Amino acid sequence: MFRLVNLEKKFGDLEVLKSISMFIDYGEVVCIIGPSGSGKSTFLRCLNLLEMPTGGKIYYCGNILDPDLDCKKLRREVGMVFQKFNLFPMFTVLKNITYAPMHINKMKAEDAKELAMDLLKKVGLADKANEYPSKLSGGQQQRVAIARALAMKPKMLLFDEPTSALDPELVGDVLEVMKQLAKEGMTMAVVTHEMGFARDVADRVIFMDKGYIVEEGTPEKIFSNPENQRTKEFLARVI
Amino acid sequence: MKLQFAKAAELLVPSLFHGFGVVIEATILGFLLATVLGMVIAIGRLSTSKIIRGILYLFLEIIRGTPLLVQLVYIYYVVPLLLNLIASMFGFTTNVQIASVTAGIWGLGINYGCYMSEVVRASILSIDKGQTEAALVLGFGKYEALFRIVIPQALRSIIPSLGNYLVMMVKDTSLLAYVAVSELLLRTQNFASQTFLTIESYTFLAIAYLIISIPLSHFIKFIEYKLKDK
Repeated sequence: MFRLVNLEKKFGDLEVLKSISMFIDYGEVVCIIGPSGSGKSTFLRCLNLLEMPTGGKIYYCGNILDPDLDCKKLRREVGMVFQKFNLFPMFTVLKNITYAPMHINKMKAEDAKELAMDLLKKVGLADKANEYPSKLSGGQQQRVAIARALAMKPKMLLFDEPTSALDPELVGDVLEVMKQLAKEGMTMAVVTHEMGFARDVADRVIFMDKGYIVEEGTPEKIFSNPENQRTKEFLARVI
Repeated sequence: MKLQFAKAAELLVPSLFHGFGVVIEATILGFLLATVLGMVIAIGRLSTSKIIRGILYLFLEIIRGTPLLVQLVYIYYVVPLLLNLIASMFGFTTNVQIASVTAGIWGLGINYGCYMSEVVRASILSIDKGQTEAALVLGFGKYEALFRIVIPQALRSIIPSLGNYLVMMVKDTSLLAYVAVSELLLRTQNFASQTFLTIESYTFLAIAYLIISIPLSHFIKFIEYKLKDK
């Protein structure tokens, strides 16, 4: 689905991503792990062009991506969930979810509402439809954010540390929803510090450090049998 | 000397009522103009074009660096002359004049628009970048994100300070007396100089302003309180 060739990103003189080449297949769940400052989030944000790469090529569905032309179209097909949820505070939960389908896909109000209620049921928050985001816990907000992304019927979802801003006891509900999505065959790229989730759910784990992909492979390989010294050191620290 | 408030009231108050109308007209139109200009300038200054940003910055510096009274006089007396001069250079003979109320409304609108644009700009910048990004990743464009998501949130936070500008503008309409708008001050000046009821006239004038500005500022506090609720 995605193929990156020698992707580079610089902020001024600072090289954040150095020659990243990788691919993501349909239906695959790829977890990206690594120390903070390793470029994981920047890498993820390059996939939907929230950050414009400064070098290299991105192929999406077989076609080379032109950052100037394909931005909106790409983002309608590749949804994103943020660390800090970023729900729209002036809208109710329901309107947060229906807003984009109604304005971008020109969906009718009733249809959008039906879709939203289905999605809210799926994330276990059907009773919160008419609340404002500020009345919800972090975990609930993040599940609404997932429902909001799903409402655009994306082909793929990007998760940028979706549980890092949550209290520990709220992490489980969000991970449960993500596991369910993975089971249903959603293509997902997840930047995470939840090693348990990466081990159980990922098809492939990528370890990044200092702007490079240091090592990648199946969860068994990365977690039980890491080859690279830096991967070993990182895992020893976090597990 | 005997104070003659009753006589002053009888003669001056009806005239002040007409003045009220002028003040309200100038304030409403001036404030609408200022709000529109403030929004346009604020959004323009957030543009990626250096030329647009530069021009707007220069304009702001000029307006904020000169007194409102000077701007009013300039618009009323100088702008028509400049227009005529330019027309004559192209071989036309014109006699452009700007009605005093019109000049007053433009002066207030431009001056307040510049100050208000800074408030609008700061409030737009204060909205978390995550809001824009959330709109972008759903497939909205840059300007859709700005107008649909960011600006509505920004406006809510600036309504109280815009209200304060409104009260200030009511009081600043007194400057329009200098470009011959018969608002409250000019009417009072004329009356006082004819009748020598100086104490009485100007006391009534001050009361007239209080009658507008005190309820207005309380109304704005009430709105501020209501908005905080949410």
